[in-house]
Amino acid sequence: MIASVITEALGLRYPIFQGGMAWVSEAKLAAAVSNAGGLGIISAMNLNADYLREQIRLCRTLTDKPFGVNIMLMSPFVKDVARVCAEEKPAVVTTGAGLPNAYMKDWLAAGIKVIPVVPSIAVAKLVERAGAFAVIAEGGESGGHVGDLSTIALVPQVADAVKIPVIAAGGIADGRGVAAAFMLGAIGVQCGTMFLCADECAVHDNYKQRVLAAKDIDTVVTGKRLNHAVRSLRTAFTRRYQEKEYDPATSGEELEALGVGALRKAAVDGNLEDGCFLAGQAAGMVHEICSAEAMITKMFAEAETLLKGAPKWVK
Amino acid sequence: MTTFETIAKLIAETKDIDVTTIKPDSTFADMGLDSLDVAELVMNMEDELGVTIEISPALKTIQDVAALVDEQKK
Repeated sequence: MIASVITEALGLRYPIFQGGMAWVSEAKLAAAVSNAGGLGIISAMNLNADYLREQIRLCRTLTDKPFGVNIMLMSPFVKDVARVCAEEKPAVVTTGAGLPNAYMKDWLAAGIKVIPVVPSIAVAKLVERAGAFAVIAEGGESGGHVGDLSTIALVPQVADAVKIPVIAAGGIADGRGVAAAFMLGAIGVQCGTMFLCADECAVHDNYKQRVLAAKDIDTVVTGKRLNHAVRSLRTAFTRRYQEKEYDPATSGEELEALGVGALRKAAVDGNLEDGCFLAGQAAGMVHEICSAEAMITKMFAEAETLLKGAPKWVK
Repeated sequence: MTTFETIAKLIAETKDIDVTTIKPDSTFADMGLDSLDVAELVMNMEDELGVTIEISPALKTIQDVAALVDEQKK
């Protein structure tokens, strides 16, 4: 058994969070992860307060274990969904794509543990000061919105810079990643990409098949020109997008418009031509569709074996 | 050197921006800075100026930040 401050504080069996992924992290997946002993997370994504409230209440019918909500801070409904969290009081709120400080006071007052995703030391320090319970240091190997630093460089630097617990994310999809994260100074991991292939994940089967087919070099980062870098699988859509991104004749507005709705087309419609299939570099390590519970138990059995075997390296 | 000038110099140095293009009413977005850059700048300003800057939506321009710093230094 691998225990840490995060399993004790949140009442988890395994120190693993399922990342908040738009159009992916719905109540059913979050509940499955929480029932398996990790922390399932519902994504508030770009939708409104009613959607989030409904998902939180649905999740409560599917699990009596703690779960979280991820707030994407660039959402046009961010103020509304932030208020829903303060009212519905999920155990944890994670945040991404910005600084959550303006909303943290209300969440903390509601007794919620706030655990922002951070791409740098400066952001980690600012959220620590505002009362974050922990931070998720996410390297650029991850899918979706990404920073520049890699997980192996970011996690130890953040762990040195803050006193609160650090959870590692980005590129982790098996027990080796978990063991490495602990060695880097983390006390838990967050995984997104592997859960795309969970039985309980409702994304279109085409999405799952694309992840299963992905090799090590099959992801690409687009959107840097707009300061919204995202990692996704290399597809017909990303090729077209990249051509436009590097074409000076294409305006920022045109580029922005090109990306609108592309993730929904991938996740809901399975549209292989126009969909944007967000996934991290760990996609090449995902080889089967199985239950969230099977993924987590296998991952932590492997991590435990590796960590117990570590003394063999020390002579 | 005024607080605005100190902040402008810091931004210019850390983000490789021509200092003459930074005006009191320049916003972070005008200068092409995202939330990551702003967080970095806030930490640098705190070290340089010996103040605590709480990031809030009210802080839009360099002058807003300078006014907050001056208020704390009173």
